[in-house]
This record gives sequence, C-alpha cells and structure tokens, in this order.
Amino acid sequence: MLSKIESYGLNGLQGFGVQVEVDVSGGLPAYDTVGLPDAAVRESRERVRAAIRNSGFTYPMQRVTINLAPADLKKEGSIYDLPIAIGILTAMGQVPAQEAAGYVFLGELALDGGVRGIAGILPMLISAGEAGARQAMLPAENAGEASFIAGVKTVAIDSLGQAVRILRGEEPAKACERAPWQSAAPHPGMDFADIKGQQGAKRAAEVAAAGGHNLLLVGTPGSGKTMLARRIPSILPTLSFEEALEITKIHSIVGAVKGANTIATERPFRAPHHTASTVSLVGGGSKALPGEVSLAHYGVLFLDELPEFPKEAIEALRQPLEDGTVTITRASSRATYPADFMLIAAMNPCPCGNFGSRLSRCRCAPAQINRYRGKISGPMLDRVDLHVEMSEVGYGDIVSKSTGESSTVIRARVNAARELQRRRYANEGILFNAQLSGKQIRRFCRIDAQGEALLKRAFDALKLSARAYDRIMKVSRTIADLEGSEFILAQHISEAVQYRSLDQKYWGGGSGGK
Amino acid sequence: MDQRRYMLWLGFALPTAYKRQQALLEAYGGDAACLFTDAANGRLPAAGKREAAAYAELRQKANEAYIDACLEYLKKRRIAAVLPVDENYPALLKEIYRPPTVLYVRGTLPKNLPLPIAMIGSRHCSDYGTQVALRLSEQLSGQGACVVSGLAYGIDCACAQGALYAAGSAFPTVAVLGSGVDVIYPQENHKIYQEICERGAVVSEFLPGTRPLASHFPQRNRIISGMSRGVVVIEASLRSGTSITVDCALEQGRDVFALPGRVTDLMSEGTNKMIADGIAKPIFSAADILEEYGVRPRREAPAKQVDETGLSFEQTLVVRLLRVCERSFDELCEMTGLDVVKINYALTELEFSGIIKQSSGRVYSL
Repeated sequence: MLSKIESYGLNGLQGFGVQVEVDVSGGLPAYDTVGLPDAAVRESRERVRAAIRNSGFTYPMQRVTINLAPADLKKEGSIYDLPIAIGILTAMGQVPAQEAAGYVFLGELALDGGVRGIAGILPMLISAGEAGARQAMLPAENAGEASFIAGVKTVAIDSLGQAVRILRGEEPAKACERAPWQSAAPHPGMDFADIKGQQGAKRAAEVAAAGGHNLLLVGTPGSGKTMLARRIPSILPTLSFEEALEITKIHSIVGAVKGANTIATERPFRAPHHTASTVSLVGGGSKALPGEVSLAHYGVLFLDELPEFPKEAIEALRQPLEDGTVTITRASSRATYPADFMLIAAMNPCPCGNFGSRLSRCRCAPAQINRYRGKISGPMLDRVDLHVEMSEVGYGDIVSKSTGESSTVIRARVNAARELQRRRYANEGILFNAQLSGKQIRRFCRIDAQGEALLKRAFDALKLSARAYDRIMKVSRTIADLEGSEFILAQHISEAVQYRSLDQKYWGGGSGGK
Repeated sequence: MDQRRYMLWLGFALPTAYKRQQALLEAYGGDAACLFTDAANGRLPAAGKREAAAYAELRQKANEAYIDACLEYLKKRRIAAVLPVDENYPALLKEIYRPPTVLYVRGTLPKNLPLPIAMIGSRHCSDYGTQVALRLSEQLSGQGACVVSGLAYGIDCACAQGALYAAGSAFPTVAVLGSGVDVIYPQENHKIYQEICERGAVVSEFLPGTRPLASHFPQRNRIISGMSRGVVVIEASLRSGTSITVDCALEQGRDVFALPGRVTDLMSEGTNKMIADGIAKPIFSAADILEEYGVRPRREAPAKQVDETGLSFEQTLVVRLLRVCERSFDELCEMTGLDVVKINYALTELEFSGIIKQSSGRVYSL
C-alpha cells in the first residue's frame, strides 16, 4: 500500500516541495529512508514508531520504505516526522488518503505523540503558498508565525492524535487566527531621552537614521557609544508589515523565532562580540545559514570595539554593505540572503581609550595608536558616511545634563525625511540617500554658490579627499531632507563637514591614506 | 702633539664609559697625547681587574690608523666632533664636573650660544602642557634665547617645535640626544630633527649609531642642564625623569623655573612642588625668564583677540565662551542652549575662518 504526503524543505530562503512517499508492504519488518536524508531525518524512525504506538494507532509489522522526493536535494532536520507518520497511517488505511492529500505537513514528533515546533516555518509556507498549496498542518508552537501567511489556511495541532482526528473529520479543522500586527513603539527603557548630553552624537544618529547612512562612533570608554547605538533602532523609520515578514523569514531559518512564535514587530539589533568569525558575520557553514549581516536585515548591526574584530571579518563586510545582499556558496548548498542593514561601529580613540581625554591620561605610544587605527582600512571607512566623536562624560555631567527629545519625536522627523527621499527616488530604484551613486549625487545634490564656496574652504582647511566629497554631499542631502528643504544650503553642508572632520584628525587626510 | 686628535681617540676607544675617560684624563692632567702614547706602550697606571679589560682594548686601539678610520667615519656621516678645546664647545658645559670628552654634532654649534635655556617636561603631557610649551619656546627663541631640549615625545618635542616656529631667530634650538647623534628616536620626530639640523644643532656625547638605552638618559640630562643658564620645567609628575635634570641643574648652579599647574593635575604635581619647596621660580610668561638674564622682554602680544564684527550671534556666543577656556561640543550645547544644527553651523564657519580649532574628543578652543 502506497501513500503520498506533501511536505516542504528549505534551501536558503527558498522553500521547495518535498513529497513523502510511504510504501508499506509484505516482508520482514524493516524501515528504510531514502532521498538524501541527513542524520536527523534518519532518526525519525524511532520517534515516528513510538509516537504512532503511544497515540493509540497500529504500527505496521511489515516492511516500511520512505522516499523523500525529489531524491537529489538534501533533506535536513526533524520537520519530516509528522508527514512520515501521517504517510504510514494513510498507507495502512488508518487515515483517509483523500483528506491527507489536501495538506502540507510540517512538524517534529515527540515520543508520546505530541508535536513540537520547528525552525523555518515562515519561508517554507510562503514558498508553499506561492506554489499553490492551500492548507497546511503544523505545530501549535509555530501557529503565531504561520498565521500571517496570506492564502494558506494553517491548522495548528498539538499531537499526532489531533491531526488524525481532524483528517478523519472527527474534529473541525480550525484555521489559526491571524494575530493583529502593529509595529512596536520604542521600548520605554530604550529611548533617546535616556541619554544625557551628547547632543552632537544624538543629532548624528538622527541624520544617519534619516538617510540610511552608516555611522562610526569614536569616544573614550564610558562616553555612551553602546548606549546610543542600542537606541538607534527606536528612531529608525517605522517598520512596515512587508519588512517585518522579511525579517522574520530570515530569523525563522535559524530558529530565532521559535520561542517568540510571532512576526517581528521591531527592527533587529544585532551586536556580535568582537571575537566573531567571518562566517558568523556574513553567513556560511555546511548548511549555508545566514550570518549576522542578514539577521540585521532592515535593522542595525552594531560592532562595538571595531578594531578588535579580526581584520578579515571587517573586510568581509564590504561587499554586503555595498550590495545589500550576500551570496553564500558551499560545496553542498548555495543561498542568497538579503543583508540590508545599517552599520554602527564604535571604537576607542586609542588602545587604552583615553586619547584626547581631559579626565584621564592616555598611556599609548603614538606608534601603538597608529597601529590601532590602521586596523580599519580605507575602503571600509569609505563605506561609513558619518564619523562622530563623542564628548567625554564626567560625573558632574551625569547628574546635571538635560535629556533632550524622545525617540518618538525624532522618529517622526526621520519618517518624514525618508518619505521625501522615497518620492524623490521613485524612478531611481533606490530608497534613501546613502544609496546614491556618484552620478545620482550630481543630479540630486545641487548646491548654491554660498554652499559651493563653503565646500571649497572645507577642502582646503581639512584636506579632504575626492571620496570624502561624495560622502559630504550625501549627508548634506539628508540634513536638508530633515529640514524639508529642497535645496542644499550652506548650513547643511557645514554640518555635514563636521561629520567628516575625523578623517583628517585620525586617519591623516583622505581616508585612503595609510 | 695634537691634543684634539687624541681626545677624539679617547672618546671613540672608550665609548660607553665617560667617567673612566675623565678619570684617565685627570690622571694625565688632561694630556691626551701622553695618555695615547702610554696606552700604545701598555704603560697605563696600575689598575684593578675591571680596568684591565678596558686598558687592553685601549692598547689595541691605540694606533694612528684607528684614529684616521674614526675621522673618516665621522666625515662620511656629516658629523662634527666638538672637543672642550674647541671654540664652539659650549662654554657653560666646561664648568660642570666631568663634562663630555667629545660632543658629536649635526648642524652647526656657534661659538657663543645665545642665552641657552633648557626646557624639559614629561613625555606624557597634557594638552595644557603642550600648548604652553609651544608658546613659551616660540617666545623665548623669538627674543634671542636658544631653547635646549631632549627631542623625546611630549613636552620635549613641543619645545623644539615651538622654537622652530620663531622664524626670525638665528639659532633657535639645540637638541641633546640620549642616543647616537644620527639615531632619531622616536621616529615620529624625523621632520623636526631635520629642521633642527638645518637651523640649529643636534648634539650627543654618545658614539654615532648608539641605540637609545634607558640608562643613557640620566647621563644625557646633565648635558641639557649643563649647557644652559636656566632650566624650565613645563610639566612633571612627582616621580619622573625630569627631577634628575632638575637635580643636575641645582648641582651645577643653574636657575630652575617651573610652570605652575592646577592642583588636581597629576602632571603638575612635580612642578607645583618645586615651587612650593622654593627650588624653582614660578613663571607665568617668557618675560619672567628673560628678565632674570637682563633681557628686556618685548611687549608680548595680548591673548588672541577676535574681531567680533561680522560674526553671527551664535558665532559670537561661541567665541565668548571659548575665551574663558576650551570647551567640548557637549558643553557648548549645554551652555548656549542653542539647537545642535545652529552650533554645528557656527563651529564649522569659525573653524574655517581659523578663529577656533578642534582637538580630540571634539574639544574646541580659540
């Protein structure tokens, strides 16, 4: 007796249909799985047998052959437990085949017949829906995440027994109710109003958020670099549902949504430790899983103590920063993941951190400081539009300083500026100022005579490089957008120049010069 | 016999032991030629075990060919050797106990050093120390003094730099090294080194090519104070190398000046204590030093005057705040209560007009 059950597999972000074919026929009792299963799939045999027995059904004392088609793609994980169990029961006639054919099954079994949640539900079901699937039966644990998929009726189950009862028509098939989704308001504990002083750096963060620029924070230890970076997601433009779905898809693959069981409501903030390897940052491994750059998609990738990261890992960020996607190729698999993130990097001015401090003394030799700063290459610096030096914070400052605006107020301005940019670049295929190419800069960043004169003085005084010119123009454009100004005025340029003055001070002139 | 030639020989043959050189010379009543002859014949005065090795070496090197090779070596490296018998050997240096037998010189040492004043201080210095060192040394050399310094990191470097800023000065500065005169340490000072060679002189008692060892520096310090009339201490913590120089200066009977600092500043603890102990005269300007030596100081330019006409309201506000002391960007925001955007604008404009300047940590000053 033969049965065919639909299931799904995942390759990168792309799901592919898997047909679970079960043949139960005469012969000595045996159990074979074919179709490139990995160890987890092969082990399903023990879980399936126990689950069927413990749910009160009969396990065949016959030869069981399971084929996972297409036979040339690798099948991974425990997601095929449920389809295999349903397949065996269907083949034995314990479940009506007609009913079972209408569903896509995904889920891991427990020995007592319970159904456990799995990773990657969202991208698999999205692909399934696009491929024409109408109904899916999946673990209750994943219901929240799955309910947001349009076009697919998702039925959540707790146990194998419940699945069988639904298929037999003994229990109604209730579709998961779609939970209301709303992008989260900034956390009360993660507000810009928490930051005392640092008006300059806060303003820079606002500009960075408004134009999608990358940001480098330089400051003495304890000046609040990390505190500021952690609050930047709260002023990024309001999250849209499409973006949320995209974010959740990626997080779903690595199983990060498993516990939370829902769609992301805020932009991700990823802060890998500086011992991170290149693979963990850009993605990889034998399964070509997404790395931190993809997990930070539509959000913030925060690299604290940037010079402490392995040089190789920092340089590997250049391509994703440029393209917004990253393609990972391994011997057995290949996957392209989106990686459209805002990079926020923080570093001390010198190895001991006290260079330029008025409160404590720097103990580094000049050569040491040069070596430390030299770890950030010119091409990497070129991809960071804003360089900001934090003011030093003493005790007196902490108790006295004013706080400033809340994230909600800043976000409103950022949203307005982004909207301006979206409309301006509607036909350009880009979304915000940071993405402007050299040609587009000359088209969209027009400056008046006064601005031109200022820029010329800036070049002479700060000895800026030609690359710095582009970055100043892009940032000026954003500053003008924040004010709702159509033209870039001298005052906008003068502010933008402030965010590049580190070039000369720390990296001696043009950022390429080392 | 040519005393000069044999003095030079002694410096070369016993490179690291200036005390032994001096002791030998004293034994021979300063007659280096006689010493040379005796060394060549192995008739040096009886000595202990430790001297025996040195004497053996001396004997080996006591031949005319060796001296010629040394002279050739110096010539090739454009290094002059100045001996106490020479006219341009610093007059004050001759007065100290056991002065260097040979001074190796790059650049030119004039016959009479014009009012040599040593400026010393910590390698780890504050911004305040650097600024004052720069200004003070520029004023001193601009008014005819010659700044003597050590060309290390920090204050030393700032003093040399400041002296070179005084464009009109004929002989702005002398640098005394703790390494061979042709060994530039630290490398970062390469540019200043070159400029001093052109406009002043770099001197050292160590053989050319000698590495800068920590043990050389106390020995070097006695020359810095020895060749100067006064020693100015810019910044020093309680226990630092500068105190060695100050001790030398006091032994040699030189004047000591110290720049007072804030009581909370670690780097001013040393200088403040010197003033409190009555060792050093507190200085507030170059005039305080110059008047000691009968130089009538020129009227110094008053603190930087900023013409406020033509400045915007914000710019004027910033300038007036900075007139009191340097301020960070944050402090300016806090004090003016102005919008960040407006302050950024004002600061950029002022910076490009050369009215203010920005230093590390986004600190602005006039």
